Amino acid sequence: MNKEIKDAKHQGRVYQTGIYLGKFFRMFIYQNDWKVMPIAALIAGLVALVMKNSLFTTMEGTLLGSFAIACICVWNGFFNSIQNVCRERPIVKREHRSGLHISSYITAHTIYQAFMCLMQTIITMFVLIKMGVSLPQEPKGLVTGNIMLDLGITIFLTTFAADMMSLLVSSFVRNTTTAMTVMPFLLIFQLVFSGGFFALPDSITFLTDYTITKWGLTATCAQGQYNDLPMTALWKSMKKMRNGSITAGQLKEFMLASPDFSEDPEMVILLNSIPDDKEIMFDDFITAIESQNGGYTIEKKSGELNQEEKYASDPAVISKCWQMLAIHILIYIGVATAALEFIDKDKR
Amino acid sequence: MSDTATVASIATNGIETIVLYVISGLCYIPFFKKCGLEWWKSFIPGYRMYCRGLCARREQEGRILAFLEVMTYLLALTMLIDGVPGALLLILSLVQVICLIINFVQAIKLNIGTCDIFNRRRTWVLLWMLFADIVALHWGLSKKFQPSRLATDKDEGAEESGITADEEAEGLSVNIAARTARSAFQTVTLLKDIHMVIPKGHMVLLLGGSGAGKTTFLNAVTGYEKADAAITINDINVYNNYEQVKYNLGFVPQQELMRGNDTVLKTLEDAANIRLPASMSIKEKKQRVQDMLESFGLSMLQNTMVEKLSGGQKKRLSIAIEFISDPDLFILDEPDSGLDGVVARGLFEKLRDIADQGKIVIVITHTPDRVIDLFDDVIVLAKDTTRTGRLAFYGPVSTAKRFFARGTMEAVLRTINQKEEGGEGRADEFIAMYSHIARLVGEGKTCEEAADTVIVEKYKGATA
Repeated sequence: MNKEIKDAKHQGRVYQTGIYLGKFFRMFIYQNDWKVMPIAALIAGLVALVMKNSLFTTMEGTLLGSFAIACICVWNGFFNSIQNVCRERPIVKREHRSGLHISSYITAHTIYQAFMCLMQTIITMFVLIKMGVSLPQEPKGLVTGNIMLDLGITIFLTTFAADMMSLLVSSFVRNTTTAMTVMPFLLIFQLVFSGGFFALPDSITFLTDYTITKWGLTATCAQGQYNDLPMTALWKSMKKMRNGSITAGQLKEFMLASPDFSEDPEMVILLNSIPDDKEIMFDDFITAIESQNGGYTIEKKSGELNQEEKYASDPAVISKCWQMLAIHILIYIGVATAALEFIDKDKR
Repeated sequence: MSDTATVASIATNGIETIVLYVISGLCYIPFFKKCGLEWWKSFIPGYRMYCRGLCARREQEGRILAFLEVMTYLLALTMLIDGVPGALLLILSLVQVICLIINFVQAIKLNIGTCDIFNRRRTWVLLWMLFADIVALHWGLSKKFQPSRLATDKDEGAEESGITADEEAEGLSVNIAARTARSAFQTVTLLKDIHMVIPKGHMVLLLGGSGAGKTTFLNAVTGYEKADAAITINDINVYNNYEQVKYNLGFVPQQELMRGNDTVLKTLEDAANIRLPASMSIKEKKQRVQDMLESFGLSMLQNTMVEKLSGGQKKRLSIAIEFISDPDLFILDEPDSGLDGVVARGLFEKLRDIADQGKIVIVITHTPDRVIDLFDDVIVLAKDTTRTGRLAFYGPVSTAKRFFARGTMEAVLRTINQKEEGGEGRADEFIAMYSHIARLVGEGKTCEEAADTVIVEKYKGATA
């Protein structure tokens, strides 16, 4: 009997992963995990409703829309896993003491969550397209040759990275209350330090590298050909000033302050020929620009002058973002496994 | 400001801080002496706060404050270093603010403890918070302020038995020299001097008051938390062969730790797949699952979700999960909690059946008297005056009743519980008496004979 006990071999990690995978997929049905799918559709729908006219059509809209998409992904990912481990922590502890390999448990979670994220990605893409969000103007994907696939991979990796981050948090904390307390802080960190939307002081810019949103947002902007898009902010501001006016004297003062004009004798003569008290309406200028379709020219020129190297539509940029997201995922999985290995040290 | 001026300013600040710290240390000397501590402890950064915790009998708070004090100095030093990145400074400042908040809360707790030990009104806490050094000096010098207990006061527990159990005996052999837990500044002994051999086929009651170390004992026996001990099950050392032996242990926790959203059958099948040897065929495993379903009366419920089961059914499933691997040692932590008397009795009868199959069954229950007839032996753990868990008795139930001169197990528990827990506080007396019994058993007497000898000696002594 003693020899039997000492020599007995039990199921290995791969087999155990299969057992837990089966368990988790049963939970998908029984434990209502499927409910995250309609929620993903709802969130994507709300974002599409607001962003459908500007995403991938203007610089500002693309940046804002990419940020919104990254936020959807992080939100979905966080909610997938944040309670998964901590809510059954005492059960895992019991099972670990009776032979469960933590690496099998985490691997099963990883595979199951990858499935969940994939489904959410498909739903999000479907909703965005159905809601009329225009796809990037370059129909060919920069990396895979298919823009849908490129965007899908970005959305999937961003969601999955957030999912694994929340799995890590769930593996560290002891109960769901702590997990739900930590989550908003992580979410705020992801939003504020995404690096694209909020201007950060130079000294803390390096923190953006540690956020999932930065890499998701950058990849989406690059795929949306951010640098080739018009920037509308300037022309919109000009149009808002349509009812304003300026006197010729003020205009002369501004223009002659510049050496380009003040050192040109002909320009000086021309400006001095206009009476100082003559009122010049902006509406005249704007109407003149509009009549020659100059607004779009201004937007294009404005876009050209505001290009960002980090959003260049270059396969290398997108690949780097994907690699960074993959590194995030691997680190989170590794640390989650290591953290959970100490589960036996939990107090009663 | 030039570099030289900056260095001069830092040096001045540093000297100021050191001088202030030394003055503060001087203020604490009489206070520490009054509490029974050496004077030099008031000058060591961090350790001084820990000592204040000892004086107030608030060691935990003292430990946290000591850590925070050291942290504060380290943070201040780091922030003085030239060229520290702005981001790091920002984070350090944030940490400093968090430290200050925790420090404030813990200091209030510690000062309340100080007032309690000196039997002073808690309004003094405010003065302690604002002018700690001056108040410490005043309390230290004034004869009006005297601590009710010195920081160095230590209780002595009952003497040790000095015996060991036979490690090669059939069944479970337990030799726990000590189970300690380390904290930042000291080591606490949770259990010590526990030696016994539980034969195969015995059902044993584990009795002990709150904090007596029942769970610590079980964790040490199962190898979940290793102690300075030698534990063998049928001659296999649990600690040395834990990876193999863990499949030969069944531990049923107090709560039903199972996934509610899975069926009874799947729960048992998954348990079988993990706990049974890989060499067993799928058919054999399925048969074992069916045997468990039948044996624990769960056949009709096999497709029911676990969350839909009643308390008793969940408990039976929880036991079946552990019993599926047919372990030699079976431990149950309050299996009858939340069950009515009839269901609980049925459950204990099932455990008796398991013991009758040659297994060792150890059970913790808080209502032992309604099922005491089903037990062979009882282990009584008690906190001695040093608050260490000790063995106050191990032997047959009938002998335990004679040994403690009590008719029920609940009365036994009352006898050994500390006075502040509503007990009689006689743990040390029985620990010492049991040590004597254990020595006599070691010399070849049976537990009953040894107990009789000790009981007779005790009454002779009492009469004399």
